[in-house]
Amino acid sequence: MELKICHMYPDVLNLYGDGGNVMCMTRRLRWRGIAASVTRLPIGDSLSLAGFDLVFIGGGQDFEQQVLLDDLHRGKDREIKAAIEDGIPFLTICGGYQMLGSYYETYDGQRCDFIGAVDFYTVGAVQRMIGNYKFLCEAGAGGSVVVGFENHSGKTWLGSGVEPLGKVLTGFGNNGKDGTEGVHYKNVFGTYSHGPLLPKNPAFCDHLLQTALERKYGKAELAPLDDKLELLAHDEMCRRLGG
Amino acid sequence: MKLNVLFAIILCKLLRLLSRLLHRGGTAMPGRIALKFCPELLSVVSTGVKTVAITGTNGKTTSSRMVEQAFLEQGKSYFANRSGANLISGITTEFVMNSSLTGKCRKEYAVIECDEAAARRVFPQLKPQVVVVTNLFRDQLDRYGEVTHTLENIRVAMESVPEAKLCLNADCSLTSSLAGDLPNPVVWFGIEQGAAPSRPKPEISDATHCIRCQAEYEYDYISYGHLGGFRCPRCGYRRHRADYAVTEILRQGADSSDLVMDIRGEKHMVTVNLPAMYNIYNAIGAVAAVTEMGLGAQAAIAALADFQCGFGRMERFALGKGGTRMMLVKNPAGCNQVIEFLENVKEKFLLVVCLNDRGADGTDISWIWDADFEGLPRLSGYLEQVIVSGDRAADMAVRIKYAGVDPAHIRIERNYEQLVQWLEGQEKPVFIMPTYTAMLELRQVVIAHCGGDDFWK
Repeated sequence: MELKICHMYPDVLNLYGDGGNVMCMTRRLRWRGIAASVTRLPIGDSLSLAGFDLVFIGGGQDFEQQVLLDDLHRGKDREIKAAIEDGIPFLTICGGYQMLGSYYETYDGQRCDFIGAVDFYTVGAVQRMIGNYKFLCEAGAGGSVVVGFENHSGKTWLGSGVEPLGKVLTGFGNNGKDGTEGVHYKNVFGTYSHGPLLPKNPAFCDHLLQTALERKYGKAELAPLDDKLELLAHDEMCRRLGG
Repeated sequence: MKLNVLFAIILCKLLRLLSRLLHRGGTAMPGRIALKFCPELLSVVSTGVKTVAITGTNGKTTSSRMVEQAFLEQGKSYFANRSGANLISGITTEFVMNSSLTGKCRKEYAVIECDEAAARRVFPQLKPQVVVVTNLFRDQLDRYGEVTHTLENIRVAMESVPEAKLCLNADCSLTSSLAGDLPNPVVWFGIEQGAAPSRPKPEISDATHCIRCQAEYEYDYISYGHLGGFRCPRCGYRRHRADYAVTEILRQGADSSDLVMDIRGEKHMVTVNLPAMYNIYNAIGAVAAVTEMGLGAQAAIAALADFQCGFGRMERFALGKGGTRMMLVKNPAGCNQVIEFLENVKEKFLLVVCLNDRGADGTDISWIWDADFEGLPRLSGYLEQVIVSGDRAADMAVRIKYAGVDPAHIRIERNYEQLVQWLEGQEKPVFIMPTYTAMLELRQVVIAHCGGDDFWK
């Protein structure tokens, strides 16, 4: 078995530790004897996503946003939408998550059109939402408790009927108001948990890998791994956050 | 003299005295409270003092110590904020402690390390003669925001001191951009092409696209991170020629480096009494600062050869039979430089990584996934064991496991007392990589075992 992973925009969407997620997926596959390859897809390059089994998009700085939008509107937007509708699993974080929605409106009313692959939008706020937080994934997204770190000023509102990735247990999540965190649409998993989300949430990582393997091979059993250190990091943060 | 100035000065001095009687540092608190009563206090006590201010992401403390050493050796009347208290509160405290009750400073010069986010509050009052911006890297996004915000902070700070001479790192495309936006006279420092082998473009760079027009930079060479011979193919923005340049790196040892510097057209042989590439940048920046302050290049060069940094920056302790070195890490760029330094260690050693996530460390620890811990398994012939500690020890253990170190060689030890006792009995040299608050705590325990200075000394 093999998973082909595409890391989109590693050159600009790499704000704090996003590469850790790709590393985590490949390691956890290889430790189980499953082959994994990672293809970097930087700005300016074009490549069909159809041949990939999993796509990762991280978060970035506002500074590079225009470069990114120009590149998206040169055809990658259609490519991403087709891949999503085709059921290819996506893990998208922070800016990479927001990008899949309809638009981003800055707090002073300037609107920036995103790709509209999933029905949600984001509105900028003055106060940033920063800190460790945790959420409970919906059953369809694996049902595990995820601990992470959020740092965003955008408040995301999901369209009616669009499922969140999970319920906020402590922290802000999508907007600090409605208790939702992230989005789960087909096999898209979008979240504000930036940086190294997967290493200390092995159950969530494995759910993602399982989803990708099942899509490709129909059925997949993931052998258990020794997650002692991972779970220690996970459980410690869970305890610290309480709630 | 205004009454509130007198009151604020007396209060500040008393609070400091009280802190020291209670065996605390009292480095920032007295100034913080005094500024409440007299918001322009720093301006009063810094009047007439010739000041060099050092700011930027990495290397502020080490550069300041290098500059300070030159003032010391030249017998100048000076003081410095040595304690690391580099916000307006700590800087004010230090000035007040060197002033009379009427607010007249007793020293001729001041060497001031200034936090890059605090500069916009500090500079308008401090009015430095010379400002060094060491570099800009992504650092503690939860506190500083994006690196372009920090750059903007420094720009605004400099607007308040248009006369100050600005020493800029020519190899850093972010800090270099300040020159075009400000009226200040600028001098440049940097490492020339060919001085060291160029590195491949890093996978993660803090400045891939032009700060002016957003086209992707091209590089003639990279010294580390995003530092090097950058140029923008679209708008022509590029590295400026350096007035203070490292032209050759003759030797990089485990304890020091030998270089050739070109200082305003004259070649000098220089020894820097600290290892690692990032300290070569600190050294050339310090030479620029000392020379521009009027002490002469020779004073700067002499200082580099025999200064001691201390305070967790490559600091040595007589702990364990093989000795211990403490190397503060704060962000990926600095951390990578330390890991690269470890590649020069050619004997078996122990590594302690100590990760905290308190305010001064940055509460977001995701940066450890941007740092190149993948370098550790490459040291497998020499790296005997990795001990992780600190508030986020488990996260650090996970990071090192995924970097490819066998979990059997990773040990978690949270108790500093037990950790230091164990290290004391070791034969092999020990290298400790702590984050800031971990360094403060661990250093106290190390000192209790084998001696060293309190942090404010």
